[in-house]
Amino acid sequence: MANTKKYWKGIDELNETKSFQESKESEFSQSNSIESFLADDQLSESSTGRRDFLKFLGFSVAAATVAACEAPVIKAVPYVMKPENVTPGMPTWYASTYYDGASYASILVKTREARPIFIKGNKHFGITKGSVTPPIIASVLGVYDSERIKNPLKAGKKSSWAAVDKEISSAIRNGNKVALISSTVISPSTLSAISELGSAVKGEFEHIQYDAISYSAMRNANELNFGKPFIPSYDFSKAKTIVSINADFLSTWLMPTEFAAQYGETRNPESDGGWMSKHFQFESVMSVAGSNADYRTMTKPSEEEAVLKYILAGLRGMSGTIPSSLKKSADLAIKSLQENGKESLVVCGTNNTGLQQLANEINEHNGANGTTIDLYNELQMFQSEEAKLMNCVKGISSGKYDVVLFYNSNPVYSFPKDELKKALKSKKVKVSVSLNSHADETGALCTYNCPDHHGLESWADYQPKSNHYAIAQPTIRPLHDTADALESFLVWSGKAERGGKDSTVAYDKIKETFSNISGADFKMVMHNSCVDLPQSMIEDSVTFNSVGYAAMPKKPSGTEVIMYQKSAIGSGIHANNPWLHELPDPITKVTWDNYITMNPVEMRKAGYKTTYDQENGLSMAKVTVNGVSVTLPIYPLPGQAPGTVGIALGYGRGGNGEKIGKSAYQTAEYGGYAVSKNGKPASIGANVFPMISTDNDEFYYSNSGKLSNVAGEYIIAATQIHHTVMGRHSIVRETTKEIFDSKGKEAYNPAHTLQTLDDDLNHVEKPVSEFDIWDAHPVENVGHRWGMSIDLSSCIGCSNCLVACQSENNVPVVGKDEVRRGREMHWLRIDRYFASDEEAAVGTKKNKDSFSYDQAEIAALNPKVVHMPMMCQHCNHAPCETVCPVAATTHSNEGLNQMTYNRCIGTRYCSNNCPYKVRRFNWFNYPSYKKFTEINPAQDDLGRMVLNPDVTVRSRGVMEKCSFCVQRIQATKLKSKIDKVPVEDGEFSTACADVCPTNAIVVGDWNDVNSKIRKSSENKRSYQALEEVGIRPNVWYKVKVRNEQNNLLSKLQVEKKSHHGSNNKHH
Amino acid sequence: MQKEAAIREPLILGHKTYHDITEDVCRPIEDKAPKMWYILFGIALIVGLYGVGCILYLLGTGVGVWGLNKTIGWAWDITNFVWWVGIGHAGTLISAVLLLFRQKWRMAINRSAEAMTIFAVFMAGLFPLIHMGRLWVGYWVLPIPNQFGSLWVNFNSPLLWDVFAISTYLSVSLVFWYIGLIPDFATIRDRAKKPVAKKMYSILSFGWSGRAKHWNRFEMVSLVLAGLATPLVFSVHSIVSFDFATSVIPGWHTTIFPPYFVAGAVFSGFAMVQTLLLIMRKAMSLEAYIHTKHVEYMNIVIMVTGSIVGTAYITELFISWYSGVEYEAYAFLNRATGPYWWAYFAMMTCNVISPQLMWFRKLRRSLLFTFFISIVVNIGMWFERYVIIMTSLHRDYLPSSWSMHYPSPIDIGVYIGTIGLFFTFFLLFARFFPVLALNEIKSILKGSGQSYKESPDYHKNH
Repeated sequence: MANTKKYWKGIDELNETKSFQESKESEFSQSNSIESFLADDQLSESSTGRRDFLKFLGFSVAAATVAACEAPVIKAVPYVMKPENVTPGMPTWYASTYYDGASYASILVKTREARPIFIKGNKHFGITKGSVTPPIIASVLGVYDSERIKNPLKAGKKSSWAAVDKEISSAIRNGNKVALISSTVISPSTLSAISELGSAVKGEFEHIQYDAISYSAMRNANELNFGKPFIPSYDFSKAKTIVSINADFLSTWLMPTEFAAQYGETRNPESDGGWMSKHFQFESVMSVAGSNADYRTMTKPSEEEAVLKYILAGLRGMSGTIPSSLKKSADLAIKSLQENGKESLVVCGTNNTGLQQLANEINEHNGANGTTIDLYNELQMFQSEEAKLMNCVKGISSGKYDVVLFYNSNPVYSFPKDELKKALKSKKVKVSVSLNSHADETGALCTYNCPDHHGLESWADYQPKSNHYAIAQPTIRPLHDTADALESFLVWSGKAERGGKDSTVAYDKIKETFSNISGADFKMVMHNSCVDLPQSMIEDSVTFNSVGYAAMPKKPSGTEVIMYQKSAIGSGIHANNPWLHELPDPITKVTWDNYITMNPVEMRKAGYKTTYDQENGLSMAKVTVNGVSVTLPIYPLPGQAPGTVGIALGYGRGGNGEKIGKSAYQTAEYGGYAVSKNGKPASIGANVFPMISTDNDEFYYSNSGKLSNVAGEYIIAATQIHHTVMGRHSIVRETTKEIFDSKGKEAYNPAHTLQTLDDDLNHVEKPVSEFDIWDAHPVENVGHRWGMSIDLSSCIGCSNCLVACQSENNVPVVGKDEVRRGREMHWLRIDRYFASDEEAAVGTKKNKDSFSYDQAEIAALNPKVVHMPMMCQHCNHAPCETVCPVAATTHSNEGLNQMTYNRCIGTRYCSNNCPYKVRRFNWFNYPSYKKFTEINPAQDDLGRMVLNPDVTVRSRGVMEKCSFCVQRIQATKLKSKIDKVPVEDGEFSTACADVCPTNAIVVGDWNDVNSKIRKSSENKRSYQALEEVGIRPNVWYKVKVRNEQNNLLSKLQVEKKSHHGSNNKHH
Repeated sequence: MQKEAAIREPLILGHKTYHDITEDVCRPIEDKAPKMWYILFGIALIVGLYGVGCILYLLGTGVGVWGLNKTIGWAWDITNFVWWVGIGHAGTLISAVLLLFRQKWRMAINRSAEAMTIFAVFMAGLFPLIHMGRLWVGYWVLPIPNQFGSLWVNFNSPLLWDVFAISTYLSVSLVFWYIGLIPDFATIRDRAKKPVAKKMYSILSFGWSGRAKHWNRFEMVSLVLAGLATPLVFSVHSIVSFDFATSVIPGWHTTIFPPYFVAGAVFSGFAMVQTLLLIMRKAMSLEAYIHTKHVEYMNIVIMVTGSIVGTAYITELFISWYSGVEYEAYAFLNRATGPYWWAYFAMMTCNVISPQLMWFRKLRRSLLFTFFISIVVNIGMWFERYVIIMTSLHRDYLPSSWSMHYPSPIDIGVYIGTIGLFFTFFLLFARFFPVLALNEIKSILKGSGQSYKESPDYHKNH
């Protein structure tokens, strides 16, 4: 049936009128234009009613308020295309190599989402066997330094590579006299590029290698003795006797990345061979090495000659003269050297050819050449030639040079004379080019800045030793428009074209260089980061000749001033790294400053203040050397040789407000920079490079000076203001090798006992472990129980663990003002205890009955030292856990004391109740409060990239502390779970244990009866700090063993044992 | 009617009638406030507001604005907390314990003492709140159902016990105080002429009509509350002392703490009552009701509790040495001879020596001397808490972490500010509330009033 219904909307449509037909065609029923609508006069007359107005007002205010409440924008950019080999959440490790002109190490770089976040040593490959130093670990922060030069500069203005390349290369090619001043270059490829550059120069080309810290005297002495300027390889691991004259070989001298691990091997009293090295140190400023010595003797620089000569004479069976204060230990050293003959090593850290010759003579006499000293495998680093540089600087001053290039070198800061600075300032050089990453002291004065990549962004090859070749590979695409120096050299010499960020110039060059040196598979070398070169690379044809000594150090007049290096800041290369500034000096525990060190005994006599705290500063003093004077606080450093003062190098950088890094300056109390007299941000500390003696064209790092009083006090920021352990034996235990070998555990490591009543109501002593009011946590023999042991004997106090922890766990940097208030955030600290005169050894009272607490607070004149790493002890009966009102800190079923930041309300009760005081409170919002803008990397868009994404960045008002790197534990467990195998011993490691050069820290699963940690905890040297409190820590310490003769200590430790025996009988 | 031996000193001096009492108590409320009141109130308010400013800065910036550090997690904050809680002890002791013991002299002082207690507990309660790193999640200390899963508070923590103890104490004290105020508010209501005041006081007085039934219930509630409050007097400060006693820190870990803290609290509370009442009786012409005898009674309490505290100090010192525990012995040696010896010295002088002077009748009946000692005692008690909390922490187990404490300006500002706020509240109380329990005091007029005791009729009746 057909549908006959008709639908219509109006009568017009039904009738299909004409007007309807018309209107259907047009879109709008009326033909009003907007103009005519707006021109309507009535419109302006129409008013909004009061109520409407209020509605609109209310709505707009509400809308504006809601819009203003927007949460801060946090940028997270997802991958549009997932890169190959990058799985979000999974770290990628690269084997690479670190070299900054002063230290060298084979490293492993951890990257997350293609950004490097953590550096540790490569234990499997390379000459450094996994050792690193604090600056190396902290260098990962340098990539993200927001004050690196981001593009080439001409006269301080932004330029382009094309423009600067054109001008520089024409200047170089047409130059009559061109110089390249660099730190020692150990890269064969770069050296080859430099020689290409040299050959492109029309006139004369000089490449001058200059290190801020020079070892030229070693090369010079060897030239005299062996006919060849070289630095040999040392092997401390074979040395049964180590005599070090002013050489801090564990932290700054020569190759600490090799020596610390070697030394560590000799410090185990239970080693297979049954021997432990005997270490003598003669030095003026207490160094890391000195603090570990079995016999440390305070020796002025001017006495070093006498010590070496006396030892040499003694060894030769002749008699010598020596100041009486040094005689005893020098005699002991002679005796020990004689006993161990060729298995001994004498090193001298003083840059004086004569002294180095004396050390050579002694080593030759002992027969050490060939055992502890490898004369043939030469160290390629430290080829500094002061004489050449000084000559060149004279030339520059007289305008002889057309072009001067500076590569990885900052002589305007570190060169002792200011001629270079003046010459550059007064434009004595037509074209000066700096390849440094920052517009530093030198860079700021150069016409061109052609910034090099950061070490983690570039390809590089190194030949640290004659027989060793290593490669550094990029771990991140260059962040800025920088260029590899190697490429720049080639471009300027016309041998290559710029390749931009993805340039392969350096890579190709390195590959080519490598193929000329070795036939090994390049990919394999890249994988391992290094390869040993064929033996043919080593020349073995030197013989020792005894020749007359070169000039010895000048006799001093007045106070002897020593310019030394601190392990973190060194020569000042990393003076912009906040982690390193905040790293407490291993000996003084001072952060963010340099100072004059002086023996407190002398200071008390001279009326200087020897105590300091948050509000009480140290006295100021002025040291004048060579007409250069610095005014610094004077720090009481026990063990400093009387008659000497020490000042650390590497400070006072950027005095003219150069952009060397956000964190390189003093900050004000409420944020911003402290301003110095010249209106620029005040630099940290003072530069003492100008005080170095340059006699005989040799940088000699001590000098005669004058110490004078200056009014005023200076507040110093130290993490430790109390320096002795007050004879507390349950914290630090120490013994001697002799006692350890001959006596049982009860002599040097007795269990703590408490008195109780037995069934017959007699008093009996029972070990602490039998007293317990708590139910044990069910962690023993169930699943994992993570534990740690720390060997106080092998811990050298290098502080690697501290920086690694900071890097791994996103520990905020809080700056000097907060550190002085005792609020540093380090999860791990190294307690450094000096012995007092009341103690026979650190932690052992000489006489319990007449023990004077007042005297015990004062460190001895030349004290013994114990370094004790301290972090959360993960107590099984944790006092912190019971007191938290909201259960924010709890015990895991794996024995961990875990902190739940989200739950924490910040009462700080846990921290008060922690006997170890290892908990750290977020006093401020470190990631955003203005006080920390300049120093905390987490407040910088670039700096933030260094944060470990596996670890929460804590906000204000919560407690935090060592977690045993729980993120690593979880990762290890997950991996094992996927692989369906149990967690293997050694598979998991904390950041601190990872970077310990001496393997003093052992971590693992205590429930695994075969694990290293289980065995270590059951060792007869193992004890738990503060055992008697009954908190059952999961961390064990091992008794410090010193290889020394200590009659008083052996009397006490042997006596105590018999005393205990009689006690038992009595009951 | 209560009878009393004639030789007892009368508690109400002069020839007061019931009406006089009403007049004396109501006059300050009904009259215009004297100029002095405005000046004092102005000062207290400014100081209090400055403290509020300091607190706001603290909350906005972080606990770091105080002088605390990694070693010393509590110092002025918890010292002030314990100090104020201690002060807040006297009120309830006076109104509850003394009520149960039928000490009639309490009637002159209990109202202001209770007001003091409440304001002091307000001040005390402030510190645990603002000392938290994250005040905004502070409610997590309450065992309330939550969306965090089965997350519950930690009943092992003395800090949690504190939450319960303080809040219970505050609520019971507040109720007790208010119940006592009801009949007095009714009196003021009945006398009030201005409509606003009349309305306000009639709301406050809960429709009290003074019927026998009301009085009967009033007495019963008072007794019940007194019974409830009495254990609280002892529990609050015992629990506060558990914060320290249950810890492992030498100098805190002490079993003697609960009685020692309670005695100390009563000691300081009475001293504060003295300070306030000696001024108030003068300012508000209440000499007839609060006089030498009352002061003497309170001084005796101060003397007794002061002696208990002194004994505790010396016991503690002796036991630390006798225990032979290295850390314990050092903690006390350090208190007495270490860098904070002066705080210990101040505490010993103010708390041990000064109350002993009260053995002299002349001194304990001297109002000026009492006023002086009451201030000294409160200074001493502040130092006691500072010594216990801070000197124990600043040098505990590991000498590497030993530290010093320097208060920051904000520490001082917050503390002074709470004193300002306390007085602001107290002055408002003195202005608008009946400062004496006027209806209660009337009940002893005929038993203990001077004119009645001296009148021949009084003797005849015996």
